[in-house]
Amino acid sequence: MIEDSLGSQHSGQLGPGSGALGMVTKSQQDDGIKQRPQYSMPGILHFLQTEWARFEMERSQWEVERAELQARIAFLQGERKGQENLKQDLVRRIKMLEYALKQERAKYHKLKYGTDLNPEDLKPPSFDKENKEDQIDGEISLSTSSGTSNATWRQGRQLLRQYLQEIGYTDTIIDVRSARVRSLLGLQTQTGDSDADISQSVLVNGENQANKRDNQGKRAGLKKLSNMATDSALIDAENAVMTTFDFLNSGNVVEDDDDLSDENEDGMAADDEAEERLERKGIKLKNESNEGLDDTDPDTVEALAEFHFLETEIGGVSEKHDTSSTEDEEWVVDQRHISELKEQYKKERKGKKTRPTRHALQAMLASLGSNDDISVDNTHMQSGEDRDDDVPSGGQISYARKPMMGMQDDEENIDGGLGLGELAGLTVNNEADPMNYDISAPKEVYRKTWNAKYTLRSHFDGVRALAFHPVEPVLLTASEDHTLKLWNLQKTVPAKKAASLDVEPVYTFRAHVGPVLSLAVSPSGEQCYSGGMDTTIRCWNIPKSDIDPYDSFDPNVLSDTLEAHTDAVWGLSIHSSKNQLLSCSADGTVRLWSPGNKSPLLNTFTVESEEGVPTSVDFVRCDPSQMVASYTSSNTYIFDIETGKQVLMLETKINSDSSGSNQINRVINHPTLPISITAHEDRHIRFFDNNTGKLIHSMVAHLDSVTSLAIDPNGLYLLSGSHDCSIRLWNLDSKTCVQEITSHRKKFEESIHDVAFHPQKPYIASAGADALAKVFV
Amino acid sequence: MKMANEPVPVIRRNRPGTKAKEWCNWEDESFEEMDSTLAVQQFIQQAIRKDFTNVEEILNPPDGQDEGVWKYEHLRQFCMELNGLAVKLQAECNPETCTQMTATEQWIFLCAAHKTPKECPAIDYTRHTLDGAACLLNSNKYFPSRVSIKDSSVAKLGSVCRRVYRIFSHAYFHHRVLFDQYENETYLCRRFTQFVTKYNLMSKDNLIVPIMEDQQTLEGESEA
Repeated sequence: MIEDSLGSQHSGQLGPGSGALGMVTKSQQDDGIKQRPQYSMPGILHFLQTEWARFEMERSQWEVERAELQARIAFLQGERKGQENLKQDLVRRIKMLEYALKQERAKYHKLKYGTDLNPEDLKPPSFDKENKEDQIDGEISLSTSSGTSNATWRQGRQLLRQYLQEIGYTDTIIDVRSARVRSLLGLQTQTGDSDADISQSVLVNGENQANKRDNQGKRAGLKKLSNMATDSALIDAENAVMTTFDFLNSGNVVEDDDDLSDENEDGMAADDEAEERLERKGIKLKNESNEGLDDTDPDTVEALAEFHFLETEIGGVSEKHDTSSTEDEEWVVDQRHISELKEQYKKERKGKKTRPTRHALQAMLASLGSNDDISVDNTHMQSGEDRDDDVPSGGQISYARKPMMGMQDDEENIDGGLGLGELAGLTVNNEADPMNYDISAPKEVYRKTWNAKYTLRSHFDGVRALAFHPVEPVLLTASEDHTLKLWNLQKTVPAKKAASLDVEPVYTFRAHVGPVLSLAVSPSGEQCYSGGMDTTIRCWNIPKSDIDPYDSFDPNVLSDTLEAHTDAVWGLSIHSSKNQLLSCSADGTVRLWSPGNKSPLLNTFTVESEEGVPTSVDFVRCDPSQMVASYTSSNTYIFDIETGKQVLMLETKINSDSSGSNQINRVINHPTLPISITAHEDRHIRFFDNNTGKLIHSMVAHLDSVTSLAIDPNGLYLLSGSHDCSIRLWNLDSKTCVQEITSHRKKFEESIHDVAFHPQKPYIASAGADALAKVFV
Repeated sequence: MKMANEPVPVIRRNRPGTKAKEWCNWEDESFEEMDSTLAVQQFIQQAIRKDFTNVEEILNPPDGQDEGVWKYEHLRQFCMELNGLAVKLQAECNPETCTQMTATEQWIFLCAAHKTPKECPAIDYTRHTLDGAACLLNSNKYFPSRVSIKDSSVAKLGSVCRRVYRIFSHAYFHHRVLFDQYENETYLCRRFTQFVTKYNLMSKDNLIVPIMEDQQTLEGESEA
């Protein structure tokens, strides 16, 4: 019976091909043949031997297995730690973003309701608490060590302060000095004050930042270095960061100066944009220092310089470190996990040791981002990995983080107004180094985005038209406030606390009685022409762009007045080489002028009255003998300039969805190709062939009526403005939107009246009903 | 023409091609319905277009309107409309005849637009004052928002009013025909006088243009 059970046990337990197989089959045969098996001494001995050998082998196998599993667990624990770090980092980042969002909301709230949000909500997230909650398992040392580091720092300062007081420095001077020094160093740590003080204080820029820095200081205390080393490392790191973001810092210094000198007049004028800016800087710094914290290597400063490398390295280093350190730790996983792991392990073994797929890793990373705790599933998915996979997996993690950092950069880029923008692609053939006037070194050339740089405030009412000087960074605007203004973008007001620079006009052109509606600048840049509600076209000699804005009145600036129209002049277009000007007016006529001549009016173009009135006019750029005019009837005609006859009708009306009210607000011509582009009230931009009049392309371009179009000098990009408050940049080749910028606010149902490209320099501009003009670089 | 077949709801736009007569020729929008950040400006301009002679009504703020913003937007509107007077003065007031900014013989006004106040000719004073006012009222430093304005900035409105008023007074005392013509077209000086009186932005002594009826009688009494 024993033998029987033994035999059955064999056949049940042993897989094929094991050492005992022969024996089993034999005994089975015996069973089958004789019912009562014959036992022989050698047979039994042999059996016992083989059994023993088998058990020994199995035991050693298990031993190996156990060792392997232990290694696995150690590895997984290490990995868990690494992932926890990653998670923390992400949580921190989320907190910062949340905070940024809160700031944004507060700003919005302030703009909308004119009051500040409860400042309580705006406190920067405290990471200390966060850490204590999250890291129950180990690093509680943080609060104490940070405390001590801060304490020594404070002590030292106290001592210094005492000395200074003894030699006669008053407290205020010390404060001013230290603020100055700190602002210069980019170290805004308010070590003299207590933390409670900071959290109580009103949220002003410096304060805000100081708070954050404080946090940073504490986090730096995490490092298990000596206090002095920590401090110096912190300063070094800060310095390194600050030099990297030198441009940000310089803005900061200016602002501080201002605050100090400004008799507190603007103490409360916490400019939202600047706050946001600082905020972002905070995030950035935070991130960098966070990365630094993971690193046990003291060369933080060096590492900070090479941001991306740091990522990978730290990933690897910390992983390895953690693995080795936890190797000798206790067997803490519970039995169920072990058995599960065993099962998995066996399966994996059979399946020839498959490495975990990229997919599995990615899934794991994804769940890391969303889940607070590290789930067992994730670690299981990886269990096929052996220890050699350590570094690659670490690499993988940090690789996945890289895009996030990239995003951060991009974001900062957009908001900081420091990106290079489209201009790289747009202007290369015109300028060798188009960005040499920019304050910052190009950081991310590959990202083509336009960013608001200058805000032109001085008009009292909607800006109807704008035009760039053909060469210089000079802009002209025409407004409903009856004036035109000349702006020199190189003469900026030292803007405080703002991401974009303010420009004040250098000259104000007054002559129109009523709103000025249209504007054109001569190719030489010496004259400009403006058409107004008062039916006149004024010819101006543009003053030098370095003129004193408060110079005495020179009546010769207004050189001529072209009078023939009997109603508002809505459109002007100037010929690129001939001294000829086209104007279209609500009186129904389009007129051709030669300004400066004794009889400047050269020709008048009329259409039948049912066409309504012309809304926009442009020369056909590739055929100087033709011009194109669009009408309120939504028809568009090409005229021969010499004969005054219609040459062609573009099929603008046929291709409009709505027959009645779909007027064309702007028609422009491609600089080199025989293409007319029309901006429609029905939100469309349409492209027409000048030779056939046929529609080439039609697209819904905006959320509201399209008001204005501009084409870059090379004919590669199209800029459109709309009453939906945004300007959009289009790739003319693919007809796709490359960038959208929300630019102006609404007045009644109007928002953006005009857009323009600088003929040579990387500037674009938009003119708004909100009385502002903005220039983007 | 196109205004005629305007669909309901009204879209308040001056599209290209709009005739001068039809400029802003749309039905009034109540202040409550104006949801833009420029509602106060819209409201003021709407009232002026409706009847520029009804100074009372134009200066009557909607319920719950923040007074600082109300004053600020009105002052913007004044400076903007004063461009019209400046255009007229440019044609007539030349630096040879009006070498100084004067109204009555009592004062010579120095132009504050320069680093050290300067005795600018009247026309330059006019232009510089308007340009300076445009810069100040659009300054991101003092008036970063058109929705809420700090008290310290509201305090600056008074000095702008005082300077800008001198344009009226110069025109009144030295270019009377031009002034009357302009005043009939705009009622601007009446509105301005009432505005600064209502909001106590200038002292009565400085309001030397006898434009308001009650003021004229006052003048008469004091002279008598």
